[in-house]
Amino acid sequence: MRDTEEHSGAAPTVARVRSVTKHYGSGDATVHALRGIDLAVRRGEFVAIMGPSGSGKSTLMHLLAGLDSPSSGEVWLGDREIGALDDTALTLLRRERIGFVFQAFNLVPTLDVIANVMLPFELRGTRPSREERAFIGRLLTELGLADRLGHRPRELSGGQQQRVAIARALASRPELVVADEPTGNLDSRTGREVLSILAGAAAAHGQAIAMVTHDPVAASHADRIVFLADGRVVAEEERMAAESIARFMLSLDTGR
Amino acid sequence: MSARLRGHGPGVLVAALSSAFGVALIQGTGVLDAALRANALTGGSTTVGVLLQITSVVFIAIAVYAGAVVTTNTFSVIVAGRVKSIALRRLLGSTARAERRAVAREGLAVGLIGGLVGLIGGSVAVAGIAAAAAALGVLGPAPYDYAAPQALLPACAVVLTTWIAAVIGSRRVLSVTPMQALGGAEERSEEESRAGRLRSACAAVLVGLGIVLLVAGVALGAVTFSGLLVAFTGGVVSFTGIVLGAHLVIPRALRIAGRLMGGSATTRLAAENAVRYPQRSTRSTIGLLVAVTLITTFGVATRTFGDMVEAAAGNDPAYYAGIETMLTTVTAVFSVLIGFSAVIAGVGLVNSLSLGVLQRTRELGLLRALGFSTRSLRRMILAESGQLVLTAVALGLVLGTVYGWAGAHSLVAAARGMPGLWFLGVPWPLLGVVVAGGVLLTVVASVAPARRATRVAPVEALGVE
Repeated sequence: MRDTEEHSGAAPTVARVRSVTKHYGSGDATVHALRGIDLAVRRGEFVAIMGPSGSGKSTLMHLLAGLDSPSSGEVWLGDREIGALDDTALTLLRRERIGFVFQAFNLVPTLDVIANVMLPFELRGTRPSREERAFIGRLLTELGLADRLGHRPRELSGGQQQRVAIARALASRPELVVADEPTGNLDSRTGREVLSILAGAAAAHGQAIAMVTHDPVAASHADRIVFLADGRVVAEEERMAAESIARFMLSLDTGR
Repeated sequence: MSARLRGHGPGVLVAALSSAFGVALIQGTGVLDAALRANALTGGSTTVGVLLQITSVVFIAIAVYAGAVVTTNTFSVIVAGRVKSIALRRLLGSTARAERRAVAREGLAVGLIGGLVGLIGGSVAVAGIAAAAAALGVLGPAPYDYAAPQALLPACAVVLTTWIAAVIGSRRVLSVTPMQALGGAEERSEEESRAGRLRSACAAVLVGLGIVLLVAGVALGAVTFSGLLVAFTGGVVSFTGIVLGAHLVIPRALRIAGRLMGGSATTRLAAENAVRYPQRSTRSTIGLLVAVTLITTFGVATRTFGDMVEAAAGNDPAYYAGIETMLTTVTAVFSVLIGFSAVIAGVGLVNSLSLGVLQRTRELGLLRALGFSTRSLRRMILAESGQLVLTAVALGLVLGTVYGWAGAHSLVAAARGMPGLWFLGVPWPLLGVVVAGGVLLTVVASVAPARRATRVAPVEALGVE
């Protein structure tokens, strides 16, 4: 929590990695996905993680989300170091504190919209309180899903499916929402719509978003953009326009 | 060839089991027959031998049928797992028919291998048992030639049915489009369902006709002993109807069973999964349904028959004791023989569950990412398995009780002093064994698929591929 005090006045840190490395395999075949990364995500902040393929951005996101463990270094979620937790403990932590939005929407096809949104509660084995129910109702209305609650995912368009996934990610009000290429399977107009909904909803309800993407337009919605290359952070910028992001990404690609 | 046969392990196993069972029955009755002939006391009579052979043909038919149903399922599941590669070959210019022929050829190979393994295995097993029995002095020396041509029949039947099952199971190949190779293809959740109004109509007619015959048999039974023949025909006809119309009955039964499993997230997801592919679930339960129905039918029929005889001949306990022993032995032997089909059905259940797991790797990864623990996953697979088994066992118990009751009454109700139609003997110990077997099967069948499911890393939900 030292970090918070250093940045006195800034919102508290939701998630943080400190000099993490991650490698796969051993000997000559070792792949270094991350070579020492420091990153903190604050409450209510929308961070985009960008980088060319193989830059380690997906691995970094897996670590932040408690889906994988680092080879060395620390991963903090709130005030807990999660790097060394076992599978069950990580599962419980994800359940309580993290929401997910994936590229391929990833809804459970056998469940209808409302059941998909309620799934995190079901998995915890808790019933949402009256207040939480009201919140979810508002959320679904904001996302334009109120009249789709009984539909199965396959009866919805891609944009609608992604909005259901956003509702699911925000429903239990986790501290951190992790988004993996959330616009990857959407046309550009729907993609923009989904992003502003995600950003708006998170800002309104105080949730932090960590989004991995290689789409400059998507990244231009973020408050802060972290550029990775070869497993290291090469640049960190405040909000940028899509054109500048694209230019920077191009320079990263040709610079290698 | 060996690469193409990958994934066919369960198919070969089922073919080998059916073939070994059939061959062993033929060889076994052959040995018994030879031993009886060699015996001076019974030597003259061929009746016993003929009876034995007729009985074994019936049991072989049941086992081969159960095997064929399981194999059909196995193949449709294998095809489902190969959609991507089939689509790629289609994209590169292969025709749908050529693709299907290739799968059918694999079916023939699976049948040939399984049939041969079963032929050798079954013969060797019987020879071993006969030698042991002869050494112990239980069985006289039997001049029996194991190279009997009739032993080839069950093996050939298995090869043929496996091939046919592969052809039926590979229907889905025809619906794979080259587009599916270009990625992004959603897994289709509606199978070849709505398969034929004709089929449903036939099923309804058969069931109706069968019920009429059953009732007629029981009614006739009050006057003459030949009622059994009518009732037996009614049983066969109506059960054929039920098997034919299983795609209408079983998914509904599965839904009810699913509701009975409870309302937690785990069991609700499991319940939805069991009815996700109605045809596949139907096929994986039907083998078990056949076995449970037959065992219950024999059990209830013999118990009801025995109790009725006892009630009628209450003043002659010695006479009854003889009948009781005979009935118990017959029930036990029949149950074991039919139970073998249940084992084959069990293989199908395991296969169906594990491929279900394989096909929704991404979904399992998603559940893990959202906070499903490995224990909840294991419970979910267990619930799925339980739902399938519960459906088959419950339906089978009900059907078998009706058939058994009808059988017993159509046979002996005419005899003087028999109790009325309400009389029903329930073989509780046998039913207990059936239910216990069901529970055991539920647990055993879910072990391997659950292990596979818990190995899915949550990260797998994130990738596109």
